[in-house]
Amino acid sequence: MHVIEISDLTRDYGQGKGIFRLSFTIEEGEVFGFLGPNGAGKTTTIRHLMGFLRPRQGSCTIRGMDCWRQAEQIQKDLGYIPGELALFEEMDGREDLTFLQRYRGMTNAGRAPELMERFELDPRGKIKKMSKGMKQKLGIVAAFMHSPRTLILDEPTSGLDPLMQNRFVELIREEKQRGATILMSSHMFEEVERTCDRIGIIRAGHLVALDSTQALRQRHVRSYTVTLESDAAAAAFARDFGGQAQGNQATVCVRRSLEEIFLEQYGQEVKE
Amino acid sequence: MNKTLYGRELKKSWRLLVIFAAVLTMYIVMIVSMYDPEMAQAIDKFQELMPELMAAVGMTGNSDSLAGFLVSYLYGMILLVFPMVYTIIRANGLVAGYVERGSMACLLAAPVRRTTVACTQLLVLLTGEVLLLGYCTALECAAAELMFPGELELSCLLGLNLGLLCLQLLIAGICFFFSCLWSDTRYSLAFGAGIPVVMYVLQMLSNMGGKLEGVRYATFFSLFRPQDWIDGSSAAWWGALALAVGAALLYAGGIAVFARKDLQL
Repeated sequence: MHVIEISDLTRDYGQGKGIFRLSFTIEEGEVFGFLGPNGAGKTTTIRHLMGFLRPRQGSCTIRGMDCWRQAEQIQKDLGYIPGELALFEEMDGREDLTFLQRYRGMTNAGRAPELMERFELDPRGKIKKMSKGMKQKLGIVAAFMHSPRTLILDEPTSGLDPLMQNRFVELIREEKQRGATILMSSHMFEEVERTCDRIGIIRAGHLVALDSTQALRQRHVRSYTVTLESDAAAAAFARDFGGQAQGNQATVCVRRSLEEIFLEQYGQEVKE
Repeated sequence: MNKTLYGRELKKSWRLLVIFAAVLTMYIVMIVSMYDPEMAQAIDKFQELMPELMAAVGMTGNSDSLAGFLVSYLYGMILLVFPMVYTIIRANGLVAGYVERGSMACLLAAPVRRTTVACTQLLVLLTGEVLLLGYCTALECAAAELMFPGELELSCLLGLNLGLLCLQLLIAGICFFFSCLWSDTRYSLAFGAGIPVVMYVLQMLSNMGGKLEGVRYATFFSLFRPQDWIDGSSAAWWGALALAVGAALLYAGGIAVFARKDLQL
C-alpha cells in the first residue's frame, strides 16, 4: 500500500492557477522532495493532503484513509509544518507546546525536550516577539514531538541559519532511519539533494518531472568527446578532467548540479 | 468538545468578561439605587415631555414597581447592548480570527475533528454569555434585596433574565454563524455585528410607536418583551422559545458550514 497517494487531483482557481490532474505516490519510508517555483501549486496540494481543502476532482489518501473525510484519524500519526507558520502569537513558547501536547491528547512531552535541545530553542518569551527562525524551530518541535510516521513539511527550513539547516537535515535522515515517510517541499537544493530519495517537480499545477534523485541527475549528464593530436595528449586530458581516453580521443562527462536541473525545469515556461 | 481548547479559550474570555461585568455592575447598582417611587413620577414627566425619545430606549410605561423601573432603565438598552458587544467581539475571534491568522492550521493539524473545534468554540461563547447574565441576575437580586428588601419578586426577575438570555443566545448564533462562514474577519464582523445592530436600531424605531410600530415585525428583538415577563403573559414564553429555536438552528448551521468549507490555511 502506498503511504501517500494522490490521483487525478484537480483544483482549478482560474487563470491557470491551481493544480491539474496531479498524480503521484509516496512509499513507506521514502523521503519525497516536492519542488517547484512559487505559485506552482505545492501548498495547494499539501492543503488537500491535510484535509483543509475538499478535492473537487480526483482524490488523495494517506495510509489508505481519505484526506478529506478521515482527516482526524490521519492526523493521529502525522506531523505538519505549514509553509506559512501561524502560531498562537499571544502564548509563550512553552505554553504553546504544552497546549499542543494536551490538545493532541499526548500524555507526556514526547520528544519535545530532546528536539528543543537539538535546535537550541529557548521557548521562553512571547511567540509574538520571537524571530522568524525561533518560530520555525517551534514549528519543527511541534511537528516532530509526537513521533509521527508520516510527515508533511512545507518549506521546513525557511528562516533557519545554515547550522540549524544542517541539524534539520540530520533530523530528516534519522527520521528516515526510523522508518518515517516524508513529503517535503523546499527551495534549498542542497537540502533536497542531501535528504530526498525521490523528487517531483511541479510547474503551473502540472507534475513535470518525477524521478529518483539519482536518476534525475543521471539523466542530465552530458558527455563530450574531444579529439586531440596524440594519444598521450588524450590520456593527459582524460586524466585531468576525470574522463576516459581511447586512442587520440578523450570522453569527459559533465554532471550538472541539481540546482541547474531545477532552474531549467522551473524556467521552461519562459522559454516555451 | 476538546477540554484543553475550552480551558484555553475560557482563559482568554476571562479578561473581557471581567471588564463587561464591571461596567454592568456599575449600571445595575446605580440604577437599582436610583429607584424611588417619587422619582418614578419624574420619569413619567419626562415621558410626557418627550415620549418618542424615551420610548426608543425602552423607557415606557409603569416604573412604579421596582421590576418595572428596572425594565425601563436596564432592559431597553444596557442589558441588550453590552452583552451583545461582548458576543460580537468574542465570536469573531473564536473561529474567523483563527482562520484569518492561519493558526487554525495548528488546531486542525491534530487528531481533532472540525466539528469538535467548532462545538468547543461555541461552548466557550455560550459559557461567557451565561456567566455574564448569571452574574447580572445575582447582582440585581442582591442589590434589590439590600436596598429595597421585598420589593423585587425573584420569579419575575428570573423570567425576565431567561428571556434576555434567549435573546442573547440568538445574537450569539448570528455572530457564531458568520464567524464560521467567513474566513475574513472583515466580513464576519460586518455581518456578525451589522445584523444585530441593524435589528436593534429597528427595535428602537418600532418602540417609538406611531407609523413605525410595524417595524417590530422586522426585528427579532421584539421577540423579547420585558413587559410580557412582568405581566406574566404566555407570549413571553413563546417569544423565548422562538429565539431559542432560531439560536439552535444558527449553531447547527455554523458548525455544518465550518465542517464543510475549504480553508486556505
